[in-house]
Amino acid sequence: MPPYLLLRLAQVDDPRFAVAAEAARTSLLRDQPVREHRALLSTTARPPVHVAAGRLAGSVDRSIYDAGALTRLPGRRVRTEGTPELTDVAVNEAYDGLGQTQALFWTVFGRDSIDGSGLPLDATVHYGHEYDNAFWDGERMVFGDGDGQVFTRFTVSLSVIAHELTHGITEFTAGLAYEAQSGALNESLSDVFGCLVEQHARGQSAVDASWLIGEGLFTDQVQGLALRSLRAPGSAYNDDVLGTDPQPDHMSGFVDTEDDNGGVHLNSGIPNRAFYLTATALGGNAWERAGRIWFDTLTGGLLHRHTDFAGFARATLTSAAARYGTGSAEWTAVQSSWNRVGVDSAAGGNIAA
Amino acid sequence: MKVIVSRSGGTAGIRLTWEVRVDEQVDALNWADFLGSLPWNDVTDSEPLPDRYLYRIRCAPHEVVLAEPEVNGPWRDLIDRVQAANGRM
Repeated sequence: MPPYLLLRLAQVDDPRFAVAAEAARTSLLRDQPVREHRALLSTTARPPVHVAAGRLAGSVDRSIYDAGALTRLPGRRVRTEGTPELTDVAVNEAYDGLGQTQALFWTVFGRDSIDGSGLPLDATVHYGHEYDNAFWDGERMVFGDGDGQVFTRFTVSLSVIAHELTHGITEFTAGLAYEAQSGALNESLSDVFGCLVEQHARGQSAVDASWLIGEGLFTDQVQGLALRSLRAPGSAYNDDVLGTDPQPDHMSGFVDTEDDNGGVHLNSGIPNRAFYLTATALGGNAWERAGRIWFDTLTGGLLHRHTDFAGFARATLTSAAARYGTGSAEWTAVQSSWNRVGVDSAAGGNIAA
Repeated sequence: MKVIVSRSGGTAGIRLTWEVRVDEQVDALNWADFLGSLPWNDVTDSEPLPDRYLYRIRCAPHEVVLAEPEVNGPWRDLIDRVQAANGRM
Protein backbone atom coordinates (compact mmCIF):
# COMPACT_ATOMS: atom_id res chain seq x y z
CA MET A 1 0.00 0.00 0.00
CA PRO A 2 1.42 3.44 -0.84
CA PRO A 3 2.63 5.45 2.16
CA TYR A 4 0.10 8.24 1.74
CA LEU A 5 -2.76 5.74 2.01
CA LEU A 6 -1.15 4.15 5.02
CA LEU A 7 -0.84 7.58 6.59
CA ARG A 8 -4.47 8.38 5.88
CA LEU A 9 -5.65 5.05 7.20
CA ALA A 10 -3.45 5.40 10.28
CA GLN A 11 -5.27 8.62 11.13
CA VAL A 12 -8.79 7.21 10.78
CA ASP A 13 -10.63 7.77 14.04
CA ASP A 14 -13.60 5.47 13.49
CA PRO A 15 -14.14 2.44 15.76
CA ARG A 16 -15.27 0.38 12.74
CA PHE A 17 -11.78 0.71 11.25
CA ALA A 18 -9.79 0.51 14.48
CA VAL A 19 -8.04 -2.71 13.51
CA ALA A 20 -7.11 -1.44 10.06
CA ALA A 21 -5.89 1.86 11.49
CA GLU A 22 -3.70 0.08 14.00
CA ALA A 23 -2.32 -2.20 11.28
CA ALA A 24 -1.50 0.86 9.18
CA ARG A 25 0.29 2.49 12.10
CA THR A 26 2.29 -0.67 12.70
CA SER A 27 3.19 -0.88 9.03
CA LEU A 28 4.31 2.73 8.95
CA LEU A 29 6.63 2.18 11.87
CA ARG A 30 7.93 -1.17 10.56
CA ASP A 31 8.65 0.25 7.12
CA GLN A 32 10.14 3.48 8.38
CA PRO A 33 13.74 2.66 7.42
CA VAL A 34 12.63 1.76 3.90
CA ARG A 35 10.59 4.93 3.55
CA GLU A 36 13.44 6.97 4.95
CA HIS A 37 15.77 5.46 2.38
CA ARG A 38 13.31 6.25 -0.42
CA ALA A 39 12.97 9.78 0.87
CA LEU A 40 16.73 10.15 0.84
CA LEU A 41 16.77 9.12 -2.79
CA SER A 42 14.00 11.52 -3.73
CA THR A 43 15.31 14.63 -1.99
CA THR A 44 18.57 16.48 -1.93
CA ALA A 45 19.55 14.86 1.35
CA ARG A 46 23.01 13.33 1.37
CA PRO A 47 23.46 9.56 1.11
CA PRO A 48 25.20 7.76 4.00
CA VAL A 49 28.97 7.62 4.06
CA HIS A 50 30.49 4.15 4.09
CA VAL A 51 32.44 3.30 7.23
CA ALA A 52 34.80 0.48 8.14
CA ALA A 53 33.38 -3.04 7.90
CA GLY A 54 33.08 -4.94 11.18
CA ARG A 55 32.27 -1.83 13.16
CA LEU A 56 29.84 -2.36 16.07
CA ALA A 57 26.54 -0.56 15.40
CA GLY A 58 26.10 2.49 17.61
CA SER A 59 29.75 2.70 18.61
CA VAL A 60 31.14 6.20 18.48
CA ASP A 61 34.34 7.15 16.67
CA ARG A 62 35.45 10.65 17.66
CA SER A 63 38.41 12.72 16.50
CA ILE A 64 39.09 16.19 17.83
CA TYR A 65 41.33 18.61 15.94
CA ASP A 66 42.99 21.86 17.02
CA ALA A 67 42.95 24.70 14.48
CA GLY A 68 45.46 26.71 16.56
CA ALA A 69 43.51 29.99 16.16
CA LEU A 70 43.72 29.73 12.36
CA THR A 71 40.81 29.24 9.99
CA ARG A 72 42.24 26.29 8.11
CA LEU A 73 40.38 23.01 8.55
CA PRO A 74 40.62 20.42 9.88
CA GLY A 75 43.69 21.47 11.92
CA ARG A 76 45.93 19.11 13.88
CA ARG A 77 44.38 15.93 15.27
CA VAL A 78 44.90 15.94 19.04
CA ARG A 79 42.52 13.34 20.47
CA THR A 80 40.99 10.18 19.06
CA GLU A 81 38.45 7.66 20.30
CA GLY A 82 39.31 6.00 23.57
CA THR A 83 42.35 8.14 24.38
CA PRO A 84 42.66 9.93 27.74
CA GLU A 85 41.64 13.49 28.53
CA LEU A 86 44.01 16.31 27.62
CA THR A 87 44.72 19.45 29.60
CA ASP A 88 42.87 21.42 26.90
CA VAL A 89 39.33 21.83 28.24
CA ALA A 90 37.84 22.70 24.83
CA VAL A 91 39.14 19.44 23.37
CA ASN A 92 37.63 17.45 26.22
CA GLU A 93 34.30 19.29 26.08
CA ALA A 94 34.00 18.63 22.35
CA TYR A 95 34.91 14.97 22.82
CA ASP A 96 32.44 14.48 25.67
CA GLY A 97 29.72 16.50 23.94
CA LEU A 98 29.88 14.43 20.77
CA GLY A 99 29.65 11.28 22.88
CA GLN A 100 26.62 12.56 24.78
CA THR A 101 24.93 13.53 21.51
CA GLN A 102 25.54 10.10 20.03
CA ALA A 103 24.20 8.61 23.28
CA LEU A 104 20.81 10.24 22.82
CA PHE A 105 20.47 9.56 19.12
CA TRP A 106 21.57 5.94 19.36
CA THR A 107 20.13 4.74 22.66
CA VAL A 108 16.82 6.61 22.43
CA PHE A 109 16.14 6.87 18.70
CA GLY A 110 18.34 4.14 17.23
CA ARG A 111 20.07 6.65 14.97
CA ASP A 112 23.64 5.54 14.30
CA SER A 113 25.53 8.82 14.01
CA ILE A 114 24.96 11.68 11.58
CA ASP A 115 24.40 9.62 8.45
CA GLY A 116 22.62 6.71 10.16
CA SER A 117 25.53 4.45 9.24
CA GLY A 118 28.16 5.24 11.86
CA LEU A 119 29.84 8.25 10.31
CA PRO A 120 32.89 9.13 12.45
CA LEU A 121 32.32 12.30 14.46
CA ASP A 122 34.98 14.94 13.81
CA ALA A 123 35.25 18.32 15.49
CA THR A 124 37.71 21.18 15.36
CA VAL A 125 38.27 23.52 18.31
CA HIS A 126 40.21 26.80 18.63
CA TYR A 127 39.01 27.84 15.18
CA GLY A 128 40.01 31.40 14.27
CA HIS A 129 41.11 34.26 16.47
CA GLU A 130 38.53 35.19 19.11
CA TYR A 131 35.94 33.62 16.82
CA ASP A 132 32.40 34.10 18.19
CA ASN A 133 30.73 31.17 16.52
CA ALA A 134 30.29 27.44 15.99
CA PHE A 135 29.06 25.68 12.86
CA TRP A 136 28.64 22.43 10.92
CA ASP A 137 30.56 22.64 7.64
CA GLY A 138 29.19 19.51 6.00
CA GLU A 139 31.96 17.30 7.40
CA ARG A 140 32.66 18.40 10.96
CA MET A 141 31.60 20.52 13.91
CA VAL A 142 33.73 23.64 14.30
CA PHE A 143 34.02 25.72 17.49
CA GLY A 144 35.52 29.13 18.18
CA ASP A 145 37.03 30.29 21.46
CA GLY A 146 34.88 33.42 21.71
CA ASP A 147 36.24 36.93 22.15
CA GLY A 148 36.32 36.80 25.95
CA GLN A 149 34.25 39.97 26.25
CA VAL A 150 30.86 38.79 25.06
CA PHE A 151 31.34 35.08 24.38
CA THR A 152 33.43 32.43 26.01
CA ARG A 153 34.43 29.22 24.20
CA PHE A 154 31.56 27.61 22.29
CA THR A 155 32.27 24.09 23.54
CA VAL A 156 31.17 25.20 27.01
CA SER A 157 27.56 24.45 26.07
CA LEU A 158 26.47 20.87 25.39
CA SER A 159 23.31 22.18 23.73
CA VAL A 160 25.45 24.07 21.18
CA ILE A 161 27.57 20.99 20.42
CA ALA A 162 24.42 18.92 19.90
CA HIS A 163 22.87 21.76 17.87
CA GLU A 164 25.74 21.62 15.39
CA LEU A 165 25.70 17.83 15.13
CA THR A 166 21.95 17.91 14.48
CA HIS A 167 22.56 20.15 11.46
CA GLY A 168 24.48 17.20 10.09
CA ILE A 169 21.59 14.80 10.71
CA THR A 170 19.16 17.19 9.05
CA GLU A 171 21.48 17.41 6.05
CA PHE A 172 21.50 13.61 5.74
CA THR A 173 17.73 13.20 6.26
CA ALA A 174 15.17 15.91 5.49
CA GLY A 175 17.70 18.13 3.70
CA LEU A 176 15.78 21.25 4.69
CA ALA A 177 16.99 24.27 2.73
CA TYR A 178 18.72 26.74 5.03
CA GLU A 179 16.59 29.77 4.20
CA ALA A 180 13.16 31.18 5.02
CA GLN A 181 10.69 28.86 6.83
CA SER A 182 12.48 25.62 5.92
CA GLY A 183 15.69 27.18 7.27
CA ALA A 184 13.95 28.19 10.49
CA LEU A 185 12.74 24.58 10.82
CA ASN A 186 16.30 23.39 10.23
CA GLU A 187 17.42 25.72 13.04
CA SER A 188 14.56 24.68 15.29
CA LEU A 189 15.36 20.98 14.92
CA SER A 190 18.93 21.72 15.98
CA ASP A 191 17.65 23.63 19.01
CA VAL A 192 15.14 20.93 19.91
CA PHE A 193 17.66 18.10 19.81
CA GLY A 194 20.29 20.36 21.38
CA CYS A 195 17.97 20.72 24.37
CA LEU A 196 17.11 17.02 24.39
CA VAL A 197 20.77 15.95 24.41
CA GLU A 198 21.40 18.23 27.37
CA GLN A 199 18.30 17.04 29.25
CA HIS A 200 19.14 13.38 28.53
CA ALA A 201 22.73 13.82 29.75
CA ARG A 202 21.53 15.56 32.93
CA GLY A 203 18.57 13.25 33.51
CA GLN A 204 16.20 16.22 33.55
CA SER A 205 12.48 15.94 32.92
CA ALA A 206 10.62 18.47 30.78
CA VAL A 207 9.48 20.41 33.83
CA ASP A 208 12.95 20.55 35.39
CA ALA A 209 14.89 21.57 32.28
CA SER A 210 16.09 25.08 31.48
CA TRP A 211 15.07 24.85 27.81
CA LEU A 212 17.96 27.18 27.02
CA ILE A 213 20.36 26.96 24.10
CA GLY A 214 23.89 28.11 24.87
CA GLU A 215 23.62 28.53 28.61
CA GLY A 216 27.00 29.67 30.01
CA LEU A 217 28.19 30.98 26.65
CA PHE A 218 27.97 34.66 27.56
CA THR A 219 30.60 36.21 29.80
CA ASP A 220 29.44 37.90 32.99
CA GLN A 221 29.64 41.25 31.15
CA VAL A 222 26.50 40.38 29.18
CA GLN A 223 22.99 40.72 30.49
CA GLY A 224 21.62 37.39 29.39
CA LEU A 225 21.13 33.74 30.24
CA ALA A 226 21.73 32.10 26.88
CA LEU A 227 21.35 32.46 23.11
CA ARG A 228 17.75 31.26 22.94
CA SER A 229 14.92 29.99 25.09
CA LEU A 230 12.45 27.39 23.88
CA ARG A 231 10.25 28.01 26.89
CA ALA A 232 10.03 31.76 26.25
CA PRO A 233 11.48 32.80 22.89
CA GLY A 234 12.51 36.46 23.01
CA SER A 235 13.62 36.38 26.65
CA ALA A 236 17.12 34.88 26.54
CA TYR A 237 19.05 38.16 26.74
CA ASN A 238 18.60 41.90 27.01
CA ASP A 239 21.94 43.63 26.72
CA ASP A 240 23.18 47.15 25.92
CA VAL A 241 25.44 45.88 23.13
CA LEU A 242 23.58 42.82 21.85
CA GLY A 243 20.11 44.30 22.18
CA THR A 244 17.07 42.24 23.07
CA ASP A 245 16.53 38.63 22.04
CA PRO A 246 14.51 39.13 18.83
CA GLN A 247 12.83 35.70 18.60
CA PRO A 248 9.04 35.61 18.13
CA ASP A 249 7.01 32.98 19.99
CA HIS A 250 3.94 33.16 17.74
CA MET A 251 3.20 33.56 14.03
CA SER A 252 1.84 37.04 14.75
CA GLY A 253 5.44 38.08 15.38
CA PHE A 254 6.93 36.35 12.33
CA VAL A 255 9.99 38.36 11.21
CA ASP A 256 10.17 39.18 7.51
CA THR A 257 13.82 39.92 6.76
CA GLU A 258 16.52 39.27 4.18
CA ASP A 259 19.20 39.01 6.87
CA ASP A 260 20.13 35.71 8.49
CA ASN A 261 18.99 33.83 5.36
CA GLY A 262 15.45 35.01 5.96
CA GLY A 263 15.56 35.10 9.75
CA VAL A 264 16.28 31.42 10.30
CA HIS A 265 17.60 32.06 13.84
CA LEU A 266 14.69 34.38 14.57
CA ASN A 267 11.58 32.59 13.35
CA SER A 268 12.81 29.28 14.74
CA GLY A 269 11.36 30.59 17.99
CA ILE A 270 7.89 29.68 16.73
CA PRO A 271 8.43 25.93 16.13
CA ASN A 272 10.76 25.88 19.16
CA ARG A 273 7.90 26.94 21.40
CA ALA A 274 5.56 24.45 19.75
CA PHE A 275 7.95 21.68 20.76
CA TYR A 276 8.29 23.02 24.30
CA LEU A 277 4.50 23.20 24.66
CA THR A 278 4.13 19.63 23.38
CA ALA A 279 6.83 18.30 25.71
CA THR A 280 5.51 20.02 28.81
CA ALA A 281 1.90 19.07 28.03
CA LEU A 282 2.97 15.42 27.92
CA GLY A 283 5.29 15.68 30.93
CA GLY A 284 8.02 13.23 31.87
CA ASN A 285 11.19 13.13 29.81
CA ALA A 286 10.89 15.28 26.72
CA TRP A 287 12.96 12.91 24.60
CA GLU A 288 10.55 10.01 25.12
CA ARG A 289 7.32 11.08 23.43
CA ALA A 290 7.62 14.66 22.13
CA GLY A 291 11.20 13.95 21.06
CA ARG A 292 10.16 10.72 19.41
CA ILE A 293 7.49 12.48 17.36
CA TRP A 294 9.92 15.18 16.22
CA PHE A 295 12.58 12.56 15.41
CA ASP A 296 10.07 10.53 13.38
CA THR A 297 9.15 13.71 11.54
CA LEU A 298 12.77 14.56 10.79
CA THR A 299 13.74 11.12 9.55
CA GLY A 300 10.47 9.61 8.33
CA GLY A 301 10.44 10.91 4.78
CA LEU A 302 7.58 13.35 5.39
CA LEU A 303 9.59 16.50 4.79
CA HIS A 304 11.20 17.90 1.71
CA ARG A 305 13.67 20.64 1.00
CA HIS A 306 11.23 23.55 1.21
CA THR A 307 8.72 22.32 3.79
CA ASP A 308 7.18 25.29 5.60
CA PHE A 309 5.81 25.65 9.14
CA ALA A 310 2.31 24.45 8.24
CA GLY A 311 3.70 21.45 6.37
CA PHE A 312 5.99 20.60 9.27
CA ALA A 313 3.14 20.90 11.75
CA ARG A 314 1.08 18.55 9.62
CA ALA A 315 4.01 16.13 9.43
CA THR A 316 4.34 16.10 13.23
CA LEU A 317 0.64 15.27 13.49
CA THR A 318 1.10 12.46 10.97
CA SER A 319 4.04 11.13 12.96
CA ALA A 320 2.09 11.36 16.22
CA ALA A 321 -0.84 9.54 14.62
CA ALA A 322 1.40 6.82 13.20
CA ARG A 323 3.08 6.09 16.51
CA TYR A 324 0.38 6.87 19.08
CA GLY A 325 -2.89 7.12 17.16
CA THR A 326 -5.12 9.94 16.05
CA GLY A 327 -6.79 11.56 19.02
CA SER A 328 -4.23 10.13 21.45
CA ALA A 329 -2.85 12.35 24.20
CA GLU A 330 0.32 12.77 22.15
CA TRP A 331 -1.54 13.71 18.96
CA THR A 332 -3.75 16.14 20.88
CA ALA A 333 -0.75 17.78 22.56
CA VAL A 334 0.94 18.31 19.18
CA GLN A 335 -2.20 19.78 17.62
CA SER A 336 -2.84 22.10 20.56
CA SER A 337 0.77 23.30 20.58
CA TRP A 338 0.75 24.34 16.94
CA ASN A 339 -2.56 26.11 17.46
CA ARG A 340 -1.11 28.03 20.40
CA VAL A 341 1.80 29.36 18.32
CA GLY A 342 -0.52 30.32 15.48
CA VAL A 343 0.52 27.68 12.96
CA ASP A 344 -2.45 26.14 11.15
CA SER A 345 -1.61 22.46 10.81
CA ALA A 346 -4.66 22.00 8.59
CA ALA A 347 -3.44 24.59 6.08
CA GLY A 348 -2.00 23.62 2.74
CA GLY A 349 1.62 23.62 3.82
CA ASN A 350 3.86 21.56 1.58
CA ILE A 351 4.76 18.06 2.66
CA ALA A 352 6.21 15.03 0.93
CA ALA A 353 3.56 12.77 -0.56
CA MET B 1 29.80 58.76 2.18
CA LYS B 2 29.06 55.93 4.61
CA VAL B 3 30.06 52.29 4.73
CA ILE B 4 27.68 50.05 6.68
CA VAL B 5 28.54 46.45 7.46
CA SER B 6 25.90 44.28 9.09
CA ARG B 7 26.56 40.72 10.18
CA SER B 8 23.67 38.36 10.80
CA GLY B 9 23.44 34.64 11.42
CA GLY B 10 26.07 32.66 13.25
CA THR B 11 24.84 30.09 15.72
CA ALA B 12 23.93 32.95 18.06
CA GLY B 13 21.77 34.59 15.40
CA ILE B 14 22.72 38.02 16.73
CA ARG B 15 22.74 40.89 14.23
CA LEU B 16 25.47 43.49 14.63
CA THR B 17 26.15 46.57 12.55
CA TRP B 18 29.28 48.66 12.12
CA GLU B 19 29.33 52.01 10.32
CA VAL B 20 32.03 54.36 9.13
CA ARG B 21 31.57 57.91 7.83
CA VAL B 22 34.36 58.02 5.30
CA ASP B 23 34.51 61.82 5.10
CA GLU B 24 35.25 62.03 8.82
CA GLN B 25 38.24 59.70 8.70
CA VAL B 26 41.73 61.19 8.89
CA ASP B 27 42.69 59.03 5.90
CA ALA B 28 39.49 59.71 3.97
CA LEU B 29 41.24 59.68 0.59
CA ASN B 30 42.71 56.26 1.29
CA TRP B 31 39.28 55.01 2.29
CA ALA B 32 37.73 56.37 -0.91
CA ASP B 33 40.42 54.78 -3.08
CA PHE B 34 40.04 51.47 -1.26
CA LEU B 35 36.25 51.48 -1.60
CA GLY B 36 36.54 52.30 -5.27
CA SER B 37 38.85 49.33 -5.83
CA LEU B 38 36.50 46.71 -4.39
CA PRO B 39 34.97 44.15 -6.79
CA TRP B 40 31.38 45.24 -6.15
CA ASN B 41 30.03 43.76 -9.38
CA ASP B 42 31.77 40.41 -9.10
CA VAL B 43 29.80 39.03 -6.14
CA THR B 44 27.56 36.07 -6.94
CA ASP B 45 24.87 34.30 -4.90
CA SER B 46 25.98 31.37 -2.79
CA GLU B 47 24.29 28.47 -1.00
CA PRO B 48 23.25 29.35 2.59
CA LEU B 49 25.27 27.40 5.13
CA PRO B 50 24.18 26.40 8.65
CA ASP B 51 25.30 28.82 11.34
CA ARG B 52 27.76 30.67 9.14
CA TYR B 53 27.69 34.46 9.21
CA LEU B 54 26.05 36.49 6.48
CA TYR B 55 27.54 39.93 5.76
CA ARG B 56 25.64 42.75 4.08
CA ILE B 57 27.86 45.63 2.97
CA ARG B 58 26.36 48.90 1.83
CA CYS B 59 28.16 51.87 0.34
CA ALA B 60 25.86 53.79 -1.97
CA PRO B 61 25.24 53.00 -4.75
CA HIS B 62 26.64 49.56 -3.96
CA GLU B 63 25.23 46.77 -1.82
CA VAL B 64 26.54 43.22 -1.64
CA VAL B 65 25.72 40.17 0.48
CA LEU B 66 28.56 37.78 1.27
CA ALA B 67 28.46 34.38 2.90
CA GLU B 68 31.22 33.96 5.48
CA PRO B 69 33.41 31.65 3.33
CA GLU B 70 33.44 34.35 0.63
CA VAL B 71 34.83 36.98 2.96
CA ASN B 72 38.42 36.91 1.77
CA GLY B 73 40.99 39.32 0.37
CA PRO B 74 39.75 42.89 0.03
CA TRP B 75 36.35 42.09 1.59
CA ARG B 76 38.08 40.76 4.71
CA ASP B 77 40.22 43.91 4.76
CA LEU B 78 37.15 46.13 4.47
CA ILE B 79 35.26 44.39 7.26
CA ASP B 80 38.31 44.43 9.53
CA ARG B 81 38.79 48.15 8.89
CA VAL B 82 35.15 49.01 9.53
CA GLN B 83 35.05 46.91 12.69
CA ALA B 84 38.33 48.41 13.93
CA ALA B 85 36.92 51.91 13.46
CA ASN B 86 33.97 50.96 15.68
CA GLY B 87 35.78 49.30 18.59
CA ARG B 88 34.09 46.38 20.38
CA MET B 89 33.28 43.14 18.48
